[in-house]
Amino acid sequence: MVETDLEPVVAPAARRQQSPGLLLLAVAVIATCGLIYELIAGTLASYLLGDSVTQFSTIIGAYLFAMGIGSWLSKFLEGSLLRWFIRLEILVGIVGGCMAPLLFVSFEYVASFRLLLYVLVGLTGVLVGLEIPLLMRILENRYQFKDLVARVFAVDYVGALLASLIFPLVLVPQLGLIRTSLLFGALNLAVAAVVLARFPETRPYRRRFGVGIAVALLGLAVLFGFANRLLAYTETLAFQDQVIYSKSTPYQRIVLTRNPRELRLFLNGNLQFSSADEYRYHEALVHPLLQALPQARRVLVMGGGDGLAVRELLKYPHIQSIKLVDLDQGMTSIFQHNELLLALNKGSLNNPKVQVINADAYQWVRQDTAHYDAVIVDFPDPGNYSIGKLYSAAFYTALAKRLAPGGRMVVQSTSPYLARQSFWCVAHTLAAVGLHTLPYHLYVPSFGEWGYVLAGPDAHWRGDAGPLPSGLRYITPGTIHDMLRFPPDMSEVPTEVNQLNNQALVRYFEEDWGPYVH
Amino acid sequence: MPNRRTFLAQGGAALTGALLLPALPGCAPTNSLAHIKGRMQGQDATTGHLLRDPSRIPAPTETFETEVLIIGGGVAGLSARRWLHRHGLTNTLLMELAAETGGNAAAGRNAASAYPWGAHYLPVPDVRNVELLEFLQETGTLTGYAPDGLPIYSDYHLCHDPDERLSIDGHWQDGLVPSLNLSADEQAQFARFFKLIEILKTAKGHDGRDAFCIPLDHASADAEYRQLDQISFADYLTREGFTAAPLRWYLDYACRDDYGALATQVSAWAGLHYFASRKGRAHNATGGDVLTWPEGNHFLTEHLRRWGGGAIQNHTLAYDLRETASGVEVLTYNVATRQGTRVRARRVLLATPQHVAHRLLAGIPGHALPPPDALHHAPWLIANLTVEGLPQGPGRPLSWDNVRYGSASLGYINASQQSVRQESGAPKVITLYWPLTDEAPGPARRRAYQTPYAEWLPRVVAELETYHPGVTPYLKNADLWVWGHGMVAPTPGLVWGGARQAAMQPVRDRIYFAHTDFSGISIFEEGFYQGIRAAREMLETAGV
Repeated sequence: MVETDLEPVVAPAARRQQSPGLLLLAVAVIATCGLIYELIAGTLASYLLGDSVTQFSTIIGAYLFAMGIGSWLSKFLEGSLLRWFIRLEILVGIVGGCMAPLLFVSFEYVASFRLLLYVLVGLTGVLVGLEIPLLMRILENRYQFKDLVARVFAVDYVGALLASLIFPLVLVPQLGLIRTSLLFGALNLAVAAVVLARFPETRPYRRRFGVGIAVALLGLAVLFGFANRLLAYTETLAFQDQVIYSKSTPYQRIVLTRNPRELRLFLNGNLQFSSADEYRYHEALVHPLLQALPQARRVLVMGGGDGLAVRELLKYPHIQSIKLVDLDQGMTSIFQHNELLLALNKGSLNNPKVQVINADAYQWVRQDTAHYDAVIVDFPDPGNYSIGKLYSAAFYTALAKRLAPGGRMVVQSTSPYLARQSFWCVAHTLAAVGLHTLPYHLYVPSFGEWGYVLAGPDAHWRGDAGPLPSGLRYITPGTIHDMLRFPPDMSEVPTEVNQLNNQALVRYFEEDWGPYVH
Repeated sequence: MPNRRTFLAQGGAALTGALLLPALPGCAPTNSLAHIKGRMQGQDATTGHLLRDPSRIPAPTETFETEVLIIGGGVAGLSARRWLHRHGLTNTLLMELAAETGGNAAAGRNAASAYPWGAHYLPVPDVRNVELLEFLQETGTLTGYAPDGLPIYSDYHLCHDPDERLSIDGHWQDGLVPSLNLSADEQAQFARFFKLIEILKTAKGHDGRDAFCIPLDHASADAEYRQLDQISFADYLTREGFTAAPLRWYLDYACRDDYGALATQVSAWAGLHYFASRKGRAHNATGGDVLTWPEGNHFLTEHLRRWGGGAIQNHTLAYDLRETASGVEVLTYNVATRQGTRVRARRVLLATPQHVAHRLLAGIPGHALPPPDALHHAPWLIANLTVEGLPQGPGRPLSWDNVRYGSASLGYINASQQSVRQESGAPKVITLYWPLTDEAPGPARRRAYQTPYAEWLPRVVAELETYHPGVTPYLKNADLWVWGHGMVAPTPGLVWGGARQAAMQPVRDRIYFAHTDFSGISIFEEGFYQGIRAAREMLETAGV
């Protein structure tokens, strides 16, 4: 039907092969792809950086602006336009297709994620901006101008509508961002392939371009297959929020999720912190101990690879050195390099006072010979027998030997409300190795009631011993005082001491959490 | 509850093996198991052949003199050497056929872990066993005494929790006493049995001695208890109405574990002794707890070696003993240097199994050793398996001791149980224990020696598959070791029949005996005690 309107400009034999309808279909496809890339970039930016209104708005703006640059640049393309078009489609397919996987992977490593994001958005926008003007020039001799404009833009906008509907309804729920990105990259490549195959004038370079397209398709297919490794899509179903990063290290699975309000870190599926209220947890972990030690110079942190406890410690200018011993380099590394997380821990792990040691805490403590004025113990909850050893009397004995005269330690001790026996078991275990203990607790909205145990060689700790750093949002001398009181539903219960040969704590922890798990 | 009892500690077991041993060719494993590396270990065929025909051994080229020659470097020999040294008799020479001392407390090591090749734990001892407690203080295992007078043991040497689990129909339960799906009667029988054990633990004879204790020489002489030595444990259990299948499985397991024999083969006294002699107490552990190390009891034998004085010659075979005017002359041969030596000693301690002692004393009258085949020594297969993972069924997680109900083997222990490192998915070593109790010890031993690696491997893998279906691809390495005379079994009459006591009598104050064969029960404590007993006899006559 369309053909009847056309001014024949090519030999009839060839015309059969190269229907402009095909090119119009190409317009629809590339229009869909173009909008999908834009949506992916916007969604990714709001996942990874938060604040979706700003992110979407700036991404769309940047993308459209880049398309404008592309459109303008299109006038410089001369020679075989079809050849340029195929080349362009291959490029768009590769750049657009790899956009999401590249952004996810680089999230961990790139110092300025934002810069990379906008560079990629810009590049994709320029390439996509080139497409339509180029196609119009290819088609200009086959339609009258009014028809050309009408048809191309009509098809373009239909493609846009299609994209905007299937993206949220089908693609993100079914495929996830990475696979969507790869799929649409492949569609761009398919357009290139079809055009290459159907237009006889592509013959001289058909083989060469064909190989290029095949290689690029294969690459995308491989990435598609590995997409689960990049970001276990199934995993996203296990979390309330969008998973923005996940990695399996030899020790644990690290997952970061994001919603408009907060960033959350999970280790093996257990929430470690929420950016919304982690200040409560970490202020309570650090300040009751440190305010009582105005002379503290050397501090040891066990666990705490997120650097958030260290961030609090660095508020005391008199602390000269902090050693952080965390098992997992995968953990400390992302908290040393990722922009978002650096904003959260204020770059604490990169501070020159801080030495990050990736080692097994138990092994390390047994061979260490230095002494510390304060020791912060921030291990994951004792959910298995391996971690349970890090809460044992034997471990605390080894750790207590590392305390300088007058030195004290604090141990994160799970929830005295949800895991009451476990909490008091930690306190009793610390007491069993001859330390004076001072249990305290607070409410952390993400966790519920949470508890710690201060422990030291004597009972001389005071809650108002020294000045607190300015700018704390939770801890004051008054809150310290309040945290020491245990209402009856969390008050002390008798427990066994956690020893390596009874692992009483892990058994309590299983009992305590059992009702919440099943 | 107790489980695999110390897989003994007898000196010269390698020698024993070598005596009977044909060659063990290493063959290529079958294709489906081709990814599993490993080999047969712990055998020395060449030496065995030499022993069959001592005339081929080169004549001695040098002569040593020593006050005391100890033949056999297992627990008893090392314990005697340490005791002599502590009491001023330092001029000793110990000869051991194997490359290392330690006897059945042998151990190995690879990139993943150290691991035992035999005896691998010691129950928390009775506080009255002061010699043993003193030794454990030397090793750093006993770190001090609490105000209540009870010993405190190192947290790193007490077996870490979780210690035991049992797989029943694919589900792992806590502990080795079957507790899933028991009928009321079965439960009642278990309860009655353990109540009986509690009574026997505190029972005393008219002589004021414990009915059951370690060392067993200190147990009561009352007929009430000793008559239990005359009947088999199985007959006793049936007579007493302990017939529930899960209970009988559990008790049979205990006998195979501790004695390498079935409840039908050991005496009732020994069967009860397994449970009723466990009277350990500690400030920070219970009598049910055990002390263990990644390398098993090699930890203890290495300390025994270090705490003794005098030279040790490994790779050395004693093959001829003669009495002389001033003592004993022994011909020995070092299989590593291929040198023969004549040793002139005032006294000789034969810390070897009885059948080896019997052979060595062929030309010497006046001993009461029983003929070589008198004792029941079951052969054992030990497999050290390096695994990159264990597909885990439902229930309790990996424990120190992992047993399957009804299993042909005794299950496996996890060598990295005492590690305080966090789990990283790195390879682990597990040690599978398998007493070969399907046929009489003699035929079983011959068959075991003749079975090549290529035949053992599929059997071991099939056994492990019953524990962890799908584990085969995770198996990286499987090293195997056959103990020809794994441990002595306390068959009826052995412990209290009188022959045992007669056999350990020294010969003319020149030749002494120490070995768990002389206890009839092959556990570290008995080997340790036998060494001290023999050393004391020697010190008395030497007037030191």
